[in-house]
Amino acid sequence: MQTQWKFSIVFSCLAITILAVLLVPGRSQGADAGNCLLCHKYTGLSRIDEDGRFRLLYVNEEIFNRSIHAKVTCEGCHTDIKKIPHDPPKKVDCLSQCHIVEPTSEQKFSHKSVADFLAGSVHGRYDKEGQPKKYPEDLPSCKECHDNPMYRPLSFFKRVRPGISDAALGRCRVCHKKDEFIFRFYNHVTTRLHTTRNPKNIAEVCARCHDNPELIARHGLSFKAVATYRETFHGKSAEYLSERVPDCLNCHVNKGQSVHQMHSSKDPDAATYKQNKIKACTTEECHPGAGPKLADYNPHPVFNQAKKPRQYYFTALFILLTGGTLLPLMFIMFMDLIRSLFPHASLRRKK
Amino acid sequence: MHTDFTIKEKNGKKYFYRFSLNQRFQHIILFSAVITLVLTGMPLKFYDASWAKPIYALFGGIEATPVVHKSAGVILLLLFAYHLSYLIYTFCADQLAPLIADKKFSLRALAMLIAAQPMMPRVKDLRDIIQLLKYLCFLTGERPRGDRFTWKEKFDYWAPFWGIVIIGSSGLIRWHKELISRYLSGEIINYAVIAHGDEALLAALFLFIWHFYNVHYSTSVFPMGTVFLTGYLSEELMIHEHYAHYVAIMKEEGRESEIRPLPGARETDKTILDNTISPKDLPQV
Repeated sequence: MQTQWKFSIVFSCLAITILAVLLVPGRSQGADAGNCLLCHKYTGLSRIDEDGRFRLLYVNEEIFNRSIHAKVTCEGCHTDIKKIPHDPPKKVDCLSQCHIVEPTSEQKFSHKSVADFLAGSVHGRYDKEGQPKKYPEDLPSCKECHDNPMYRPLSFFKRVRPGISDAALGRCRVCHKKDEFIFRFYNHVTTRLHTTRNPKNIAEVCARCHDNPELIARHGLSFKAVATYRETFHGKSAEYLSERVPDCLNCHVNKGQSVHQMHSSKDPDAATYKQNKIKACTTEECHPGAGPKLADYNPHPVFNQAKKPRQYYFTALFILLTGGTLLPLMFIMFMDLIRSLFPHASLRRKK
Repeated sequence: MHTDFTIKEKNGKKYFYRFSLNQRFQHIILFSAVITLVLTGMPLKFYDASWAKPIYALFGGIEATPVVHKSAGVILLLLFAYHLSYLIYTFCADQLAPLIADKKFSLRALAMLIAAQPMMPRVKDLRDIIQLLKYLCFLTGERPRGDRFTWKEKFDYWAPFWGIVIIGSSGLIRWHKELISRYLSGEIINYAVIAHGDEALLAALFLFIWHFYNVHYSTSVFPMGTVFLTGYLSEELMIHEHYAHYVAIMKEEGRESEIRPLPGARETDKTILDNTISPKDLPQV
């Protein structure tokens, strides 16, 4: 009898364990240890928030697993969520330590160093004397520019192309046995070897503030940065998804520094400071061999009488030339069509 | 350039020789290059227009289309160089050399010779424009009596001529900015961008509206003028556009009796007919 009981208990435990394994969603060993996808897998999951904005709360697991934060658990960023169902969560703080361990220091990972760079940059909320800048609320924090980007892996076998090289993965597998690790490491390294976003995307991010007339006026900026960029070959090519043309960051950040270390063009440390500009133009990728006068080129041309009178009148000349040529000719064509309807008519009396 | 104007008759209709094979080939290369340049250039200028991206994709997108554009630009500039040398050569060989051989050469004679070239604007062109405006405004029933090359054709010649100089030079500056920046301020690239795009827009509108209207769409030639292919112009169009020249040719060919009257002309008005310049009166080209 006792043996029977023991057997029943062991059998029940085994059955419960098997059931539990079967019931838990298949990919739960990844980021979703907290089983958040139990609800967030539903495509229609959404609500209207306190500000009246529509919030889609659906998480596409497949896309998330290809994103840079795929290894971070939901609770790693949404630290205040402890139970399901949960209360409206706090905004994510990118500076909090997440559950990833940085392998070289073996410390928990955080974006804190980025915040330090940002604080010392033109986008920091305090000036060099530690005084708050005007309208600090306009200045960007992490999420104004960043979302959770996808990996953009590159293959370097035979030719450079987007994607993962199986040949390279084959090499990794010689020493590394865990395919998931190989996949992540490959994605991380090759994504980091180039830009996460193409120039068009970057310009669009900067345009949110730098093409906003209210912000431009409030902060005394001279012009719409992205609209003027799009007047140049750089900006137009970016619109055609060229990755070879410079985006905002290529010129506004010193080579070898983080994009978060951007300075005002009046700051001698800035990449766009008058004497430094030429360095950005003449890099090996851009215009090697160009003379120092290339820095006089204006990569943000404005059509403005007060700011750029010579370029304004030069453009106006062509507008006048176009109108002055075409309008009279169009009048002649129009009258010619009318005249062809009445070829023999004449207001002058025949003698 | 040819002086031996001939009249070709086919099915009882007269056709007048206008353009040599060499000139027609130059024109074909010119318009092929220009159409390619417009198709590969305008989508970049108007990148946000709905038609821009499909056309750009047709030429291979941002990686390939600029190469196509530059290639067509080089072809056009080579054609321009050929045309200039063709002009200078024919001018020197056919006109300047005989003048020097006759020991009549002077700067004044050279200036007169240049001014007498068939494509040079004249006072008659201004008079023809005024006459055309009068005709179009129903103030007279008579079209202007155009000469060998009318003011429209001179306009159509000098506009691209000026256009190639402006667009070509600004295009070369944009292309070779590294070289330019060693000698000139980078600001010149800003001016080159403005000049290149704006002058190109003017040229494209001018050609595809005005030139196409005159040679293809106008009611007298619709649906298509063929002189650019055959080199010959029909008698009706000669009368319509080049009446003065038509009369002169007919006289020269000894077919004075076959000259047809200008529609709308007053019969008593013989003076203009009599005063028509004959090709013989012009310096031989």
